Amino acid sequence: MIDGTVVDLSRIQFAATALYHFLFVPLTLGLSFLLAAMETVYVTTGKRIYKQMAQFWGGLFMINFALGVATGLTMEFQFGTNWSFYSSFVGDIFGAPLAIEGLMAFFMESTFVGLMVFGWERLSKGQHLAVTWLVALGSNLSALWILVANGFMQDPVGAAFDPITMRMQLTSFPKLIFSPDVQSKFVHTSIAGYVTAAIFVAGVSAFYMLRRRHMPLAKRSFRMAALFGVLATMGVITLGDALGFVAARVQPTKLAAMEGLWKAEAAPMPFNLIAFPDQARQENRGVVQLPDLLSLLVTHSLNRTVPAIDALERQAKQRIENGIPAVQALQALSRDPKDAAALAQFDAHRSDLGYGFLVQRYAPDLSKVTPAQVSEAARDSIPPVAAVFWSFRLMVGFGLLMLVFFVLAALYTLRNSAQEKKWLLTAAVWMIPVPFLANEFGWLVAELGRQPWTVFGVLPTWMSASTHTVTYMAFSLIGFVALYSVFIVIEIYLLVRAIRLGPTEHGDSGDEPPQPRPAPAGRPSAAHVTEPEG
Amino acid sequence: MRTFLYFLLLMIVAAAVIILAAILGDVGAWYFAWLVGTTMIVLISAAGAALLDAQEEHAAAEGLAAVGRHERT
Repeated sequence: MIDGTVVDLSRIQFAATALYHFLFVPLTLGLSFLLAAMETVYVTTGKRIYKQMAQFWGGLFMINFALGVATGLTMEFQFGTNWSFYSSFVGDIFGAPLAIEGLMAFFMESTFVGLMVFGWERLSKGQHLAVTWLVALGSNLSALWILVANGFMQDPVGAAFDPITMRMQLTSFPKLIFSPDVQSKFVHTSIAGYVTAAIFVAGVSAFYMLRRRHMPLAKRSFRMAALFGVLATMGVITLGDALGFVAARVQPTKLAAMEGLWKAEAAPMPFNLIAFPDQARQENRGVVQLPDLLSLLVTHSLNRTVPAIDALERQAKQRIENGIPAVQALQALSRDPKDAAALAQFDAHRSDLGYGFLVQRYAPDLSKVTPAQVSEAARDSIPPVAAVFWSFRLMVGFGLLMLVFFVLAALYTLRNSAQEKKWLLTAAVWMIPVPFLANEFGWLVAELGRQPWTVFGVLPTWMSASTHTVTYMAFSLIGFVALYSVFIVIEIYLLVRAIRLGPTEHGDSGDEPPQPRPAPAGRPSAAHVTEPEG
Repeated sequence: MRTFLYFLLLMIVAAAVIILAAILGDVGAWYFAWLVGTTMIVLISAAGAALLDAQEEHAAAEGLAAVGRHERT
C-alpha cells in the first residue's frame, strides 16, 4: 500500500508544476496566431508598421516560449518518476499522444520558431509568413496531443483493460482523438489561449497609449487584440457550455461538484449562484439561487434533471460491490493467467474494475470488506466540492468580465476613440492578470473535478503513485516550487524590461509628436510607409 | 500553362478542404469549428487593422482639406 502522504505530495507536486507551466502555455497558443494575423497584414499591405508589430510582439512571444518549454519538460518525466503505476497501467494509451506531441508537434514548433526569429532577413516575406503560421499551428498541435492524453484521463474511450498483461491497451485510435471530451477540451483550451494573448496585447498597448508612446503600434495592436479577443471570448464561452454538456454524460460527479448539487431535485432545477458547500454534512450554506437555470444550462432543456451527489453515491456503492469480484478475479489471474473461471468472472464484472480498486484503499483483503468500507469508498468517489464549485465560478466570472471588457474595447477601437478613453486603457492594463487566473481556475475545475481518479472510473489516484519516501517527495516538491518561482520572476522581469524598452530597436522613434499635423499632400504618414514586395 | 497549373492546384486544395470538412464535420465537429473559427478570428482581426489604416487615411485627408479651406479663406 502506498503511503497516503506520498500520494498527496505527488499530487501537489504535479499540480504545482502544471499550474506554473499553464501560466506560460496559453499566451504562447494565442500570441502565435496574433503574430500570424499581424504578419498577414504586413505581407498583404506592405506597411512597415505591421512588421514592427510582428517583431516586437514576437520578442515577447519568445521570452514566454522559452520559459514555457523549460517548465513543461519536467512534467512528462514526472509521469515516470512519481506516477509509475499509472504509467505502467495506461502507458500504452497515454504514451502515444505524448510521443506524437514530442516528435511531431514540438519539433515542428521548435524548428519553425527558429526560422521565425532568425529568418526575417533570410526568407522572403511570403516564406516568413508561412513559417509564422506554422509556428502557430505547431504550438496548438502540441496542445492538441497533450489534451488528447488528458482527455483520455477524463473519459477513457478507445481502450480496454487486458487481464493477462494487467494493462490498459489501445483499441481505437480514432475513438481516442475524436472523443467529445478531447475535442471540446482542446478547442476550449486553445481559444482560452487566444483570449489570454488578446488581453496581454491589449493591456500592453493600453500601457503605451496612456503614456502616448509608440502610438501607431499601440493603436493597431489594441485594435487587433480587441477584435481577436471579443470573438475568442465568445468561442471560449460556447466551448465551456459544450464541455459542461459532455461532463454531464461522462463525468457526472464533476458536474455535481461544479454545481454544489447534493440532493436530487425536480426539473427545472435552480442554479446555485453562490453557496458554501459543506462536504462533511453534504449540504450548502448561504445559498443564492437563480430559478430553472441549471436544467437549461446543463441539459439545454427545462424538463430534464441533473444527477445529484446522493444518487451518484448510491450508484458508486453498487459499482463498488460489482467491482470487487473483478479485482478478486484479477488477483486469481495474476497467480494463474490460464484460470478460465477467473477470466469469466473478470469479464462479467470488468466494467466496474476501477470501483473495486477504489474500496481496496480501505480493505486490502477484499474477502473481508464491510458495508461501512464500501460506504466510505462511495463517499470518496465525490470530488472536493467546495474547491471545484468556487474554481468553476471564478473561472466563469473572469470569463464574463473579459467579455464585457472586449465588447467595450472593440466598440471604442472601431470608432477609433479607444486612445482617448483613459478609463478603458487603465482597465485594460489591470485586466492583464485576469485570463491567467481564469486559466488556472479552469485547470483546477478539470483536474480536481476528476478526483478520486487519475483515469476516470478506471484507476484511482491512491494507487497510481510511485513508492517514494515522504522525505524524497517533500524535498523534490520544495525544489520544484523554488525553481519555478525563479522562472516566474525571470519571465516577469524580462517581459517588463522588453515592454519598457518598447519597439525602439525596430526603428520606431517611440513617442508620438506633441502636436499631430497632417502629412504633406502626396506623402503618407510614417505608419503607412510601405515596403517593396520581396 | 502556368495559369492552368495554378488553377489545378487551387482546385485540388479546394477538393481537399471539402473532403476534410465533410469528414471533420461528421466525426470531429469541434475540430472543424476550431479550424474555421481560428481562421475567421485571425482574418477579422487583420481586417480591423486594415480598417484602422483606412480610418486614419480618411481623417488625414479630411485634415488636409480643412487646412486647404482655411488657407483659401
